[in-house]
Amino acid sequence: MKVVMDVNEIKKTIPHRWPFLLLDRIVELKPGVTGVGLKNVTISEPFFEGHFPNESIMPGVLIVEAMAQLTAVVYCKGALEAMKESNEEVAATAETVAEDIDISSRVGYLVSIKDMKFMKPVVPGDQLRLRADIGKSYGILSKVKVSAHVNHECVASGVLVVSQRPE
Amino acid sequence: MLTYLETKELAQERRQLTDRLKEIIVERLDLEIDPKLITDDQPIFGRGLGLDSIDALELFVVIEDEFNVTVYDDNIEVFSSINKLADYIVENTEE
Repeated sequence: MKVVMDVNEIKKTIPHRWPFLLLDRIVELKPGVTGVGLKNVTISEPFFEGHFPNESIMPGVLIVEAMAQLTAVVYCKGALEAMKESNEEVAATAETVAEDIDISSRVGYLVSIKDMKFMKPVVPGDQLRLRADIGKSYGILSKVKVSAHVNHECVASGVLVVSQRPE
Repeated sequence: MLTYLETKELAQERRQLTDRLKEIIVERLDLEIDPKLITDDQPIFGRGLGLDSIDALELFVVIEDEFNVTVYDDNIEVFSSINKLADYIVENTEE
């Protein structure tokens, strides 16, 4: 499977860190449009300590958080591309742009969680294959269709609304 | 001058559009209100129907899906009432 972004690149794009960075790898990416990311779930995750002591289940809200983080990556990469296009000089030194401008500070906020369904518990050993498709936007808000699969089986899906950070 | 019948027909068409708008809004935005209780000039946002800026996105999507009409970001006053919205849809629908 092709690695589009490894975890180091993800960390340059979004500000989340341990124990809350819930994205290990990006395997497909169309900046600003769509992305597929992986999250490997292991028993060493801190949340399994309490959720639950006798039965390890990844909290549904953290699956949503992982989806939101993937959305942030797709969104930020899109914003970065747009910035590059709007400034051709910068495009010549694309590599340094990412370092000069702290793109992670541009990550917006989660605004709404709609129609989220959790079809199956996610447990240690599972690999979440997360997908985010950015849909229609109005003003600073955008609708994002998200899903999570384990072994080609859908474990969660729904719609998020995210906002740009107000300028 | 329009004849009485023509005027009546226009009024009926308008009524159909506003009724449909109310039903769609209630259904798609999951409002707990009878569509028949919404009046044509009642504000959609804030104290009127109680919608907020987050619902504006859904409303935008609904209007685009159902009527194939795009409301642009700088045109938010279109969402101020059912009547305004109906006007906008009529103006921007290609016959």
